[in-house]
Amino acid sequence: MYQQLFVFGAAFLGSAVESTEALTIVLAVGLTRGWRAPLLGTVAALVALAVLVVFFGQLIVSRVPESSLKLLVGTLLLLFGLRWLHKAVLRSAGIVEMHDEERAYRQTVTELRAATTRHDWVGFVLALKGVFLEGLEVVFIVIAVGGTGRGLPVAVAGGLLAMVVVAGAGVAVRRPLARVPENTLKYAVGVILTSLGTFWAAEGMGATWPYDFVSILVLVAVYFGASRLAVSLVRTPVPA
Amino acid sequence: MRFARAAISEVVGLFVADWVQSAVIVAILAAGWFAVNRLGAAALAGLVLLLAGQMVWFARAEARRAAR
Repeated sequence: MYQQLFVFGAAFLGSAVESTEALTIVLAVGLTRGWRAPLLGTVAALVALAVLVVFFGQLIVSRVPESSLKLLVGTLLLLFGLRWLHKAVLRSAGIVEMHDEERAYRQTVTELRAATTRHDWVGFVLALKGVFLEGLEVVFIVIAVGGTGRGLPVAVAGGLLAMVVVAGAGVAVRRPLARVPENTLKYAVGVILTSLGTFWAAEGMGATWPYDFVSILVLVAVYFGASRLAVSLVRTPVPA
Repeated sequence: MRFARAAISEVVGLFVADWVQSAVIVAILAAGWFAVNRLGAAALAGLVLLLAGQMVWFARAEARRAAR
């Protein structure tokens, strides 16, 4: 039960971040060129992503031995989580600019206005590409956290709920969700995925964690502490 | 073709931002695998500390590069 909640939470938060970025692209296309083409592009991308989840999800759950799966997915999850955490640390320290959905939206709108003489497939392709590429991260998070923890349905539910919530919020406000604390979410998801990755990779190596799944909380505390240390070290002037 | 290239680079980019850092992480895991098989659960603390330590190290290194 505790593990399933953790898997659901990780899938939900990770998917929410990526869905917000995909929504910005779809809104920019829809409000600039009309809704038909971008909605068709979005549906096509979602179908392709669903096929990936079903195909790879089933393949992983039914074919790969559990210890190999834990080692492989744990390693990938660790690389993925640390990449997010690294960027979140640099953003928190002011080294890298915060991701700005308003600016991304304005940039896409400007590009689209410059392309008004083209056919309507521009809107279709842009939405398809945006949703599919952002959705690849959602697919990975869902399969990794769900497949390894034997909780794929729970992870899929978390990912789907995140997409529905973000899409609902986008329809309600009809503008990019600039108030979503994206860096904070990425920071939190980075810590969670890094902890899950470490946990599963070590189990795949044959290790048994003290107190089993509860030790993930210790991993979360260690990685969060290390990331705060990194932020404070990076903020202080570095001698050249 | 451009879309396929973008999708492939997106998939690689999911896991690798800095090839050196990724190689270090994989090396730590490989060393961790060896240590876990020799020392058991006692090696886990070292594995976690190394992974956390490389994160601090590479963040600092990137800040140093950005400051130049």
